[in-house]
Amino acid sequence: MAYDVFLGCVIPARLPYLEASARKVFTRLGIQLNDVEGFSCCPDPTGIEQIDHKTWLALGSRNLSLSKNQNGEIISFCSGCVETLKGVNYYVNKDSEALKEVNTILSKVGKKYDGKTKVKHFAEVLYENLDKVRDNVTRPLYGFKVAVHYGCHYLRPSEIIDWDDPFEPNTIDEIVKALGAESVDYEMKMECCGNPVEKTDKDLSLLLIENKLKSIQNAGANCVVVVCPACYQQFEFNQRELNKKNNTNYDIPIFYLSELSALAFGFKPDDIGLKFHRVRPNALFENTGFIKES
Amino acid sequence: MSVINFDFRNEVLSHNASLSYCYQCATCSGACPVALATAGKYNPRKIIELSILGLQDKLIEGVDVSVWLCSTCQTCVELCPQKVELTEIFTLIKNRSFEEGKIPEGFQLQGQSIVDNGVAIPYSKAIESRREKLGLPKVKTASVDEIKTILKETNFEKNILKVGK
Repeated sequence: MAYDVFLGCVIPARLPYLEASARKVFTRLGIQLNDVEGFSCCPDPTGIEQIDHKTWLALGSRNLSLSKNQNGEIISFCSGCVETLKGVNYYVNKDSEALKEVNTILSKVGKKYDGKTKVKHFAEVLYENLDKVRDNVTRPLYGFKVAVHYGCHYLRPSEIIDWDDPFEPNTIDEIVKALGAESVDYEMKMECCGNPVEKTDKDLSLLLIENKLKSIQNAGANCVVVVCPACYQQFEFNQRELNKKNNTNYDIPIFYLSELSALAFGFKPDDIGLKFHRVRPNALFENTGFIKES
Repeated sequence: MSVINFDFRNEVLSHNASLSYCYQCATCSGACPVALATAGKYNPRKIIELSILGLQDKLIEGVDVSVWLCSTCQTCVELCPQKVELTEIFTLIKNRSFEEGKIPEGFQLQGQSIVDNGVAIPYSKAIESRREKLGLPKVKTASVDEIKTILKETNFEKNILKVGK
């Protein structure tokens, strides 16, 4: 099994440790990731698409046209990139005029897109290989009470994403359970993290994440799992910011799904750069007995 | 008093006919996380109402309600009983605002970075060395000239220079 890996912007250029964990997990599962030269920004469905749909279609199609492996199938570690690439496919396949217009633009740079590259989110691929995931668990995450945050663009619009249920999803919960952890239900589970409104109103964005953190704490979860770098930054970086601003003391470790998988597969925190996290998971590791000496 | 802009109204309708199906039931606003967090100050139903009425100026200037507060969570789109494609309609309004150079700074910064670097976040020396320490490959991103050629074709580069002017 092989995929062309689409890294996007935020993970490789700001949070490379998340990429490190994801690459290790897929290597362990025997799933090959091919690196492709020449990708641009996906572009951001909450940024560029909002200001210029045509540019978004053109750059997205250009990226999709670069996938050259046998299956023409892309995997991405970012829900935003997946939404864009699946969304671009949706529009150019729905509207032949749009594809024609895109190809007129792409012809200026000697490229052409046929609308046929397939796109998958890395959690989709993990779920499709759930037995293999389970077989590779050497250190089950006993005692990890995980608040799963699906995030909006992993699920919706369901007509475009075409994967899990838009309001009652279960794929990530199932993966978390396969790793030996418990998935804790919480009131605000399906709410938006608030990251996209940060570009317009920072205080509002902090309020949205505070509501989620409060609900996660009330439910007794001891960590959060996310599958999108925008959500990750919102939960991790803005947790600190919120504490400073409101004098709160949230201290909830945030993991990427690939990090939880890597830990359960036996990789050490240092192998995957966990030290770069701002909210340190040391207390969680000690309390659960996952790592005794730390 | 606001002046109805029939061209604008027709333009939204021709791009997205689902606008005319809206019967103002407010399912969108009831499910909207931003409406909840702002106690109804942000109100997607209102944006659709202003669009049906063709009140372009109010929408672009953000009078009554700002379309830029939409988090694009797509909850309203999933739940709308009339299958109105709210997020697409909001995108169209924001695209028109961009053509007039009226977008929030956060969007402008991202747009400018794509023009300058081809990516939203350029690779700093510190990140490149961190990637190396983590055993990650060097990333070869798109040629900036190639991306610029595309951004010229779509008028993106021209429009981003208009912002704030």
